[in-house]
Amino acid sequence: MTALNQVSLAVERGQILALLGPNGAGKSTLFGCLLGLLRPGSGEILLEGHRIEASDRLKFGYLPERISLYPQRSVWDNGLFFARLKNRPRQELERQLKRVGLYAVADRPVRQLSKGMLQRLGLAIALCGQPELLVLDEPFNGLDPALLDGLENILREENDRGATLLISTHTMSAIEPLATHAAILLQGNLAASGRLEELRAAHGENSLEAVYHRIARQARAVAPQEVWT
Amino acid sequence: MKQICTIAAKEFSDRFRSGWVIACAMVWLGAIALTSLFGLVQIGRIGLQGYDRTAVSLLNLVQYLVPLLGLLLGHDLLVSEREDRTLALIHAGGVTRARVLSGKFIGGCFTLAFPLGLGFVIAGTAIGLSAKDKAMGSFFTLAISGLVLGVIFLGLGLLISTLCRSRVQTLVCALLAWCIAVFAFDLVAMGVVITANSTRAAQEIEEATDATHVASVADMHSAFEKGDEHATQMIADRSQKVATWLALNPVDLFRAANLPKSANIAVPPWLTTLSIMAWLLGALGIASWKLHRTDL
Repeated sequence: MTALNQVSLAVERGQILALLGPNGAGKSTLFGCLLGLLRPGSGEILLEGHRIEASDRLKFGYLPERISLYPQRSVWDNGLFFARLKNRPRQELERQLKRVGLYAVADRPVRQLSKGMLQRLGLAIALCGQPELLVLDEPFNGLDPALLDGLENILREENDRGATLLISTHTMSAIEPLATHAAILLQGNLAASGRLEELRAAHGENSLEAVYHRIARQARAVAPQEVWT
Repeated sequence: MKQICTIAAKEFSDRFRSGWVIACAMVWLGAIALTSLFGLVQIGRIGLQGYDRTAVSLLNLVQYLVPLLGLLLGHDLLVSEREDRTLALIHAGGVTRARVLSGKFIGGCFTLAFPLGLGFVIAGTAIGLSAKDKAMGSFFTLAISGLVLGVIFLGLGLLISTLCRSRVQTLVCALLAWCIAVFAFDLVAMGVVITANSTRAAQEIEEATDATHVASVADMHSAFEKGDEHATQMIADRSQKVATWLALNPVDLFRAANLPKSANIAVPPWLTTLSIMAWLLGALGIASWKLHRTDL
């Protein structure tokens, strides 16, 4: 089975790219290839013209869709382990935990955290080391409106700092005010990509969600049995 | 290197916190104490023995228990992290698969060596103080070869951990590997040689296997009772030929390294070294190759 087919996408430094698509479209697979978790059958992913090495990934921050950490260990221990792997000092972890509002519960075992807290801990770990590229897989899942607002602010700050953000999501209302670019994946194919305003103008729609549904409808009309929305 | 140390330290710390290290140390110490105290029951004696006697008594315990500990520790090193998806997070953070494997292996080695080493040191001190024995060469050989045996099986466990997809699969494979190495190998080797009509080789295997099995521990103790000369006579008919086939199985290699000289079973040092390196590097090499081809 081909998860991604002839996907060609260029992301420039400082962009916030929203990666959209239905479940099974290949968003997480694309991230997996980028992060070296999956081996593409063919093709390559280049970072500033060269193949991505492990040392490049020290400058990446990754928040998986289903964050899984060490449940018996505390928030602090989990964070410190990943910070040390990135050769970052404790102060950096402390700063990131304060930023996501988890410093007060740093001694609490991870198994006692709610889904939203776990998501924030994953974000703190991803933010350690001032990553140049942040890869966030469904970061808005499970967050209440207040946390959602907080996350949007953090992501804006990271982008202002110069970080490039790749965000896959179904929550279009959350990503639209944030993203500068969007790419839509359907059944492993890149159906559309470009600046947000260009996409809206090209499809005569006012919102990213409307653009997405229009493109999905068009694709469904071409291959109705293959595309689900 | 810092990443490897971080992973190794976490591995040891996790096992320590979970009680694995302490439990293992207690079991090991208890087993050594019991074996040392009651090892001579077969010849009607109870009490702490000297180093040579304790080494002979401990031979069976080490050859059965240490590979099992190594496999039980190693089988879980990678598969659990893969199942829990934490391995993906580690790798995405810039840690190569080779470093993950190295860190896990080194952490596993410390986790295994700590309780085993502790057991040997405490038991060795107790024997030295109570039995007033200073000739600890055989006991030292037993301790070092026991640790090496454990590390080899830890590597095999790690290999199993990379080859299987779930914890249950790895556990089953680890227990199977233990049964093969500890019980089935000698029988299969003998069967193969006999089937191949190599009578002389079959005879050598039979003699060597017989010399290393439980029943002959009593013979060995009897040999000690009657002095080295008698022992040499008693087992004189055993082959002096180098039992190179022993190198095929680390457990047999361990037995060969620890049998009293009177048993006349010897594997040359170069072959012992070669076998140990082959088992270790082979297991880790295949594990690394497999892990590099595994999607996380």
